[in-house]
Amino acid sequence: MWTQTQRTLLDAILDELVPPSNDGTIPGAGALGVADFLPTADAFAPNPVDTTQAVMMALGESFVELTRPEKVAALHLIEAQKPDAFATLVRLTYMGYYSRPDTRPLFGVGAHPIHPQGYPVPREDEALMDELTAPVRARGKVYRDAK
Amino acid sequence: MQNEPVDVLIIGAGASGAAIAWSLLETRMRILCLEQGPHLKDKGYPSRDDGYELARYGNFSCDPNVRGLKQDYPINADDSCITPVNFNAVGGSTINFLGHWPRMKPSDFRTRSLDGVGADWPVDYDTLAPFYDMNDRNTGVSGLGGNPAYPDYAPELPPIPIGKLGQTLAKGFNARGYHWWPSDVSILSQDHDGRQKCVNAGTCDLGCAAGAKGGTNFTYWPMLENAGVELRSECRVREILVDEATGFATGVLYHGADGQVHEQMAELVVVACNGVGTPRLLLNSKSKAFPDGLANRNGMVGKNLMFHPLTGVAGVFDEPMLGHEGPMACSILSQEFYETDPTRDFVRGYGLHSGRSTPPMTYALGGYGVDSPIPWGAEHREAMDNVYPYLAGLTVVSEDLPEEHNCVTLDPDLTDSDGIAAPKITYRLGDNTRRMLRHGEERAKEILLAAGAKKVLSKGDDNVWWRAGWHQMGTCRMGDDPVTSVVNGWGRSHDVKNLFIVDGSIFPTAGAVNPTSTIQAMALFIGDCIKTNIETLFD
Ligand SMILES: Cc1cc2nc3c(=O)[nH]c(=O)nc-3n(C[C@H](O)[C@H](O)[C@H](O)COP(=O)(O)OP(=O)(O)OC[C@H]3O[C@@H](n4cnc5c(N)ncnc54)[C@H](O)[C@@H]3O)c2cc1C
Ligand code: SF4
Repeated sequence: MWTQTQRTLLDAILDELVPPSNDGTIPGAGALGVADFLPTADAFAPNPVDTTQAVMMALGESFVELTRPEKVAALHLIEAQKPDAFATLVRLTYMGYYSRPDTRPLFGVGAHPIHPQGYPVPREDEALMDELTAPVRARGKVYRDAK
Repeated sequence: MQNEPVDVLIIGAGASGAAIAWSLLETRMRILCLEQGPHLKDKGYPSRDDGYELARYGNFSCDPNVRGLKQDYPINADDSCITPVNFNAVGGSTINFLGHWPRMKPSDFRTRSLDGVGADWPVDYDTLAPFYDMNDRNTGVSGLGGNPAYPDYAPELPPIPIGKLGQTLAKGFNARGYHWWPSDVSILSQDHDGRQKCVNAGTCDLGCAAGAKGGTNFTYWPMLENAGVELRSECRVREILVDEATGFATGVLYHGADGQVHEQMAELVVVACNGVGTPRLLLNSKSKAFPDGLANRNGMVGKNLMFHPLTGVAGVFDEPMLGHEGPMACSILSQEFYETDPTRDFVRGYGLHSGRSTPPMTYALGGYGVDSPIPWGAEHREAMDNVYPYLAGLTVVSEDLPEEHNCVTLDPDLTDSDGIAAPKITYRLGDNTRRMLRHGEERAKEILLAAGAKKVLSKGDDNVWWRAGWHQMGTCRMGDDPVTSVVNGWGRSHDVKNLFIVDGSIFPTAGAVNPTSTIQAMALFIGDCIKTNIETLFD
């Protein structure tokens, strides 16, 4: 979908929208390949490719040469100039990034499709529930009669 | 095209349509239900896909304007701070509802007498209690008996786990001396009645692929279809027909799955299309006898729309709260601030709900029901790494009061895929509600801090959640006075004696609890009244 030059630029943008963690254990959205998701996202925004390209063109190829603070400043400028396209790109980037099974565990959530496995959560035993609800029961009735 | 006439025609196969069909089974009348949506395959829910959260923003969004499927009618909510959400299929909005199952309380049925606001219901809590019980048995309800916020009743199944998040918040409520209790849920905490228990997947809005949630596609409809109730899916009712001479409903015109317009005659017509769909259908059913819409001689159809406006406050704790593990909306519920207290600057009250958290995408996009993505860049990293896993939140769910200017009308331009006029919502937040929400936010902050939160995050901007029109009530209110209400005390139209309405549009007031257990209890009650009065039903 993207030419090599476009892809380099887009990955650099995406890596600023969702940057990697400082210790490198969590990859940024560019490194993770969110660029591949964007052309498939037409169920979530009209013309995702045109929108992405509008932001890329506004930033220009030289964006990749900038230092990180300069990149952030350039992105803020485009966010102000093209708020709708920029907001759509941010939204789609989050969707592409967090819909991947390999990112969920980085935030404590299972990689698996949520059904049929779900999560094993034990029911609180009766003693714990009794202890927790004791002060509530001790106060007694808290509803109003209506007669 | 004409079909063989039936005795009872129910429009809408959601929560209320299914419940009344069950109630009328024993009459042995010929019952037909027309439903505009499809019969979804149980295994086809998006929670089985790797990228399951995406469906929340596409064809499984709770917002019909986002889904935009053939069976969805668009809703113009430009003049509202809340947009109505729903699901259109066999099971209705119980396909994507969250299964939170609190009952209304005795005072909810008497707000005019007790507090001078709203309207008293023609029925009371005690009358409805056996129907709540009956509906719970048909649905499968889990919870802990002995809740001091209610007259005595006990859910059949033990509570679902409240989890680390619920336990943490419970300690905060206890520290403040406030009421809380494990939520009653129409979700199975153990295998029951041939159905599988909940697996704590946490994405109940994407349909329950386990079949553990009390959607009528899993509860009532299998029983009904076995018992011979005819269900025609992908059939959208265009208008209800009337006999100009007698003023009785004679049947409907509907767009069938075959793309043709059909006529279906019936002795008795029951409308169960939810609080926006029902007034829309009545307003679209114009005739010489009813030029302003069916059952609308007094102009009350569509008026008094109520939601449960809500806002949320979140606490950031020291340890991960595992909030994504467990049914999405249900952990614990506090009703400390539910009843009117004259020392406050508002009447009636609200509930504090501890929902659970969502998986990371929904959080990054602003949270469930909110379109406001978190910042990009360094702030994004901070929020995802140091806030998201540690969150536990409280939602303030307020009682809305009926106000005539909040209403459903027909949009002059917008139509559905069959060219039928779409509904338009006009709604603004009442001052009483605004004060209530502010009070709730302050209490929620206190409780979160008492529970050990190191930081509390609250928008504090007076905005309610946008995609939170889950509960749609009041638009065809019931009452004894034909001048101020659309149906009588047992759901029969004052104007059209063989027309009944059974969904939340008949609620005179909204309470501050999720409405479906009350909607279905009312549908069973109305079914019972129809059976009791069968000899003189149309007098
Ligand atoms: C995301 C979400 C979460 C929710 N969570 C909860 C919760 O936790 N607890 C709770 O109590 N409630 C919850 N609700 C609300 C609950 O789903 C509704 O209160 C309940 O389903 C209403 O029942 P009903 O029969 O009035 O309407 P529905 O269940 O919506 O059924 C109406 C049916 O009528 C059909 N219909 C409409 N118009 C036509 C027509 N012209 N022709 C043919 N068919 C038509 C629709 O397609 C639909 O299937 C939630 C709702 C949503 C959307
Ligand atoms: S959390 Fe439980 S009720 Fe909700 S969808 Fe999963 S299995 Fe069903």
